[in-house]
Amino acid sequence: MISKVVKCPKCSYKTTVIGESGKKIIITCPKCNTKGNYLFPEEHQQLTKTSDSIAIEVNGLIKTFNGLRAVDNISFNVEKGEIFGFLGPNGAGKTTTIKAMLGLIHTNSGEIKINGYDIKPSGKDAKKFVGYLPERVAFYDNLTALQNLHFYAEIKKSSKEDCITLIEEFGLSDSVNKKVGTFSKGMVQRLGMARAILGSSPILILDEPSGGLDPRGVVLIRNKIREMKNKGTTIFISSHILSEIQEICDRVGIINKGVLVAQDTVSGLSKKLNLKPKITVELEKMSDDVVASVKKVKGVDKVEKIGKSIDVICDPKTKAKVILAIETAGGNIINLYTREPSLEEVFMRFTEVK
Amino acid sequence: MISSPILNIAKKEILDNVRNKWVIILTIIFASLTLVVSYFGSIFSQGWQDFGVTIAGMMSLVQFLIPIIGLMLGYAAIIGEIEKGSMSSLLSLPVARFEIILGKFFGLGGVLSFTILIGFGIAGIVIGVNVSDVNYLDYLIFIGATILLGLIFLILAMFFSTLFKKRSTSMGISVFLWFFFNMILPIIFVGIMAASIGIEGLVSGDFPEWYHALTLLNPLSVYSALVSLNVGPVSTIEGISVSYPAFYSSGVMILILLIWIVGFLILTFWKFDRRDI
Ligand SMILES: Nc1ncnc2c1ncn2[C@@H]1O[C@H](COP(=O)(O)OP(=O)(O)O)[C@@H](O)[C@H]1O
Ligand SMILES: [Mg+2]
Repeated sequence: MISKVVKCPKCSYKTTVIGESGKKIIITCPKCNTKGNYLFPEEHQQLTKTSDSIAIEVNGLIKTFNGLRAVDNISFNVEKGEIFGFLGPNGAGKTTTIKAMLGLIHTNSGEIKINGYDIKPSGKDAKKFVGYLPERVAFYDNLTALQNLHFYAEIKKSSKEDCITLIEEFGLSDSVNKKVGTFSKGMVQRLGMARAILGSSPILILDEPSGGLDPRGVVLIRNKIREMKNKGTTIFISSHILSEIQEICDRVGIINKGVLVAQDTVSGLSKKLNLKPKITVELEKMSDDVVASVKKVKGVDKVEKIGKSIDVICDPKTKAKVILAIETAGGNIINLYTREPSLEEVFMRFTEVK
Repeated sequence: MISSPILNIAKKEILDNVRNKWVIILTIIFASLTLVVSYFGSIFSQGWQDFGVTIAGMMSLVQFLIPIIGLMLGYAAIIGEIEKGSMSSLLSLPVARFEIILGKFFGLGGVLSFTILIGFGIAGIVIGVNVSDVNYLDYLIFIGATILLGLIFLILAMFFSTLFKKRSTSMGISVFLWFFFNMILPIIFVGIMAASIGIEGLVSGDFPEWYHALTLLNPLSVYSALVSLNVGPVSTIEGISVSYPAFYSSGVMILILLIWIVGFLILTFWKFDRRDI
């Protein structure tokens, strides 16, 4: 239901009408009895998307270091409840953007809002909603893991009781009362994740969360991210590893040399980029039969003959079928290797288009 | 009204620093030296009236050691956390930047005051046992003035800790500051005076008023003036007795010490606010 004030075209009398958007009604002017049609405006997706549904809003962000633009006019929105992947090679400007989002650095221009609060004048309010895992995780080395988390819980005004549970959840039960100065890099990273989650902030900002972690730690943190997402947490996660982000994100933004070169859903992006692995099959003897039968396999995009080997671009799932097709056609496979599309290729493709 | 993040940070600084081995070592050194000075001062004295040299000895001790403790507590307070990386996390919490500075200043100031109280407490007991007519109010003023002096060097170091990009630079400037206020500045002032009134004037101890005004630029001189003006009889260790001009008053001295503290606190807020972490 929306209400609108309409003006009679004849006598200019103003009256308020109520109705559904997109519906047409006939209005009779209460003053001069003129009849007229009125169409309630369509609720435009873009217009009605009030800042209520946006967790993070970055607009025209520019940051220079000694004249060099580390972040060059970046704008994006992160919807509430989504996982947004911020992808880019080392030095692309991810950390700089994140630091600006939290008011850790001063920007040359641009506007940043967290849950509607501008980080510049209302930083303290804005930061109430955020849990943050910095790129370089550090604690107070003289204090124990528990003392450290207690300190952060006090300032976040969150429950101190949760601290021990959190430390245990991240596999540090044996080290609750050990000084953080004695921790390994992986342990510090885990404790860092516990600190970010502390107080269940509605927005999580994670700068390369798998940095310094062993595979088990990576899985632990990935599961935690999924768990938080299911609780409705908005998650902003930066990474320079495509595969790491692909699996868990709803949308990704790609940043290269300070410029946001793409912003899309993961599937949309894969489609755009045609992100398929390339399989190179080395054969004992090249034959046209083999090439022809590989081409026939469903899911194969491209087949290329190079000397005694063939390059096949196909869905990862069709790999087995391709091999079977080669062997049925009498091909003798000597060697086979798969190459995933590298992030560099992705950036190249985007910057080429530009 | 003190908001709670300030208290949380202050508490954390105390927890973090009471285990700092340098703080412990310097506290022990300070306490032992005050014990020695007060013991020998009090066993050879007839009473408080005759206590000037002991007070002067403690004053020299304070001027020598308290700046070191203040500088040591402050030089890494900000840059140390930035270099380490923990400042990013601290600043991502709902705290204002000035609250971080105030919290650290109160916490570190608390540690410093604690050190001073231990040293003076020990000396106080020794003096109390050996001297019959101790003026305890004088002694409290002495302690208060010493805390103010320590806070000046603390906030000076904290300011340079927010100014510089490296912990090592901040440490270097702290060492320099100690030499500057303890050695360089006094030599410059005496040099200026010697050039003006000659060696005979210098020996007579009859210093011109402008010299007394000039020395007020050095917080160490302001401190010793404040103690001399209040704490009974003070004679310098060198035996030269100096009479102060009329514009020297406790109020003026306290005001100058407070201006140093508040001034550098404001400068530190200002600088920290502009800093990229
Ligand atoms: N404090 C700084 N001073 C100077 N240059 C910086 C600073 N921080 C980052 N940069 C530069 O800005 C660019 C982006 O860095 P960063 O945001 O850390 O990239 P990413 O996190 O994507 O790896 C890099 O070229 C880096 O060298
Ligand atoms: Mg980075």
